[in-house]
Amino acid sequence: MADASLQGKLIEFKGASLAVMTAYVRETDAVRLADALHMMLGGMPDFFAGEPAILDFSQLGNSPDRVDWTAVLSLLRRYQLQPVGVRNLDEHLLEGARRAGLAVLGAESFSAERPVAAAQPRTPPPAPAPAPAPTLAPAPVEAAPQAPAAASSDNGLAPTLVVDRPLRSGQQVYAKGGDLVLLAGMSPGSEIIADGSIHCYGPLRGRALAGARGDTSARIFSTNFGPELVSIAGVYRTFERGIPQTVAGRGAQVRLTGSDNLHTLEITPLQYD
Amino acid sequence: MARVIVVTSGKGGVGKTTTSASISTGLALRGFKTAVIDFDVGLRNLDLIMGCERRVVYDLINVVNGEANLNQALIKDKHCDNLFILPASQTRDKDALTEEGVEKVLKDLEHLGFDYILCDSPAGIERGAVMALTFADEAIVVSNPEVSSVRDSDRILGILQSKSRRAIEGREPVKEHLLVTRYSPKRVEDGEMLSYKDVQELLRIPLIGVIPESDDVLQASNQGTPAIHLKDSDVAIAYQDVVARFLDEDRPLRFVAYEKPGLLKRLFGGK
Repeated sequence: MADASLQGKLIEFKGASLAVMTAYVRETDAVRLADALHMMLGGMPDFFAGEPAILDFSQLGNSPDRVDWTAVLSLLRRYQLQPVGVRNLDEHLLEGARRAGLAVLGAESFSAERPVAAAQPRTPPPAPAPAPAPTLAPAPVEAAPQAPAAASSDNGLAPTLVVDRPLRSGQQVYAKGGDLVLLAGMSPGSEIIADGSIHCYGPLRGRALAGARGDTSARIFSTNFGPELVSIAGVYRTFERGIPQTVAGRGAQVRLTGSDNLHTLEITPLQYD
Repeated sequence: MARVIVVTSGKGGVGKTTTSASISTGLALRGFKTAVIDFDVGLRNLDLIMGCERRVVYDLINVVNGEANLNQALIKDKHCDNLFILPASQTRDKDALTEEGVEKVLKDLEHLGFDYILCDSPAGIERGAVMALTFADEAIVVSNPEVSSVRDSDRILGILQSKSRRAIEGREPVKEHLLVTRYSPKRVEDGEMLSYKDVQELLRIPLIGVIPESDDVLQASNQGTPAIHLKDSDVAIAYQDVVARFLDEDRPLRFVAYEKPGLLKRLFGGK
């Protein structure tokens, strides 16, 4: 057995802080949520890999009379998301949430939206997905590796990561705290993640996630646009119906437009010579 | 210095063993002392393609484990004096391969004065494939003109970049060559197959050759004769070109353009 002094102390309590994701739920109807999730994460049932999440109802459109918590929770758990609590939920719905085993959190009990540079891992911003707008839009989990405080070099500037060989299928690069520059492009099935912006000279063909810790001013630049997925600060887009003709195979940039809770992902041709 | 060349692909059935047999034969015919090692432990095939399956006594695993020495295990090719085959074991599995063991075998081959050592990689990205590419100086990446094969080749290129000794030790990277096999210009013309240009654009490594799809390959395998020995075969000529390009000779690409069969040919058949 362990230390003798711990004998007889079968349980012990200590304070701990948990990095947790917020899911902004804008619909409580399980069927419509299921559709939205399927559209977003279709082939990836284990997308969230057991991630704990707080369900935030501050952006709920019309408050329903009741919520079928069993259906909603089992739906989220199907994607291996683990709802642990709710916040900003209307008074009359709280009892049901409690009964479903969810903690009821006050708005002040934690702060989700600290500044990006703060030493807070995972600050998923509210992330409205592109049209057709699904009603629940969490930040992609794998976009935010367990990162401690923003890594900055001695001069206070975030380091830029430069990759000068082609990135191959199955390879992954994460530029912690800064920008990522690819000098030889990337192949389908590879993944690049940056806390800052992504600059890709050569084909951009895999998954590209910029602003992984919530920087909405991050952008993605490519000289040969053709990714499987692009994401900025958790707002992402896939290209099931193909890359738009105006940018396919050409120079393009991806950025967020709009403000606060109404971000849209905009992909525009890049003019240069 | 012996050059170690891995023939790899990720995907199975694309023509790695056929390519290993033909290129090693081609190099040997050019006068280089060449060894070809079958890394497909458990599913050995190279000895069949080379027609020496009845002469296998000891194999790669025996040598790795010190149960036999290299001279006992190397089989001299029946066609060329300069070519030796080190067969895989059929009764063991790929876990029997150790990095130290493989390194020692390659060192010993170098001491025996070999110029080129070809490693015929198994399919997949598991131990056998990684062992085959770990010590490579050059890689011939074999790909069929279809997307899944190209994707797997891309994956193997990534592994080459991360797991090869040259990469780990930060030396000059493994020299990569793309070989497109089972190429059918007609099907490319009809839009059923990727063109070799598409494949090269996707993988972005230098093209060393295009081997046309041909019934001759199956025939050669059945006879236990490397395809490069076939008389009057496009495949044999294409492999000879590959060997020439490997030795830095300039050869134009052949068998990549589709020619519509003429009327007579259509009436009277023919290949």
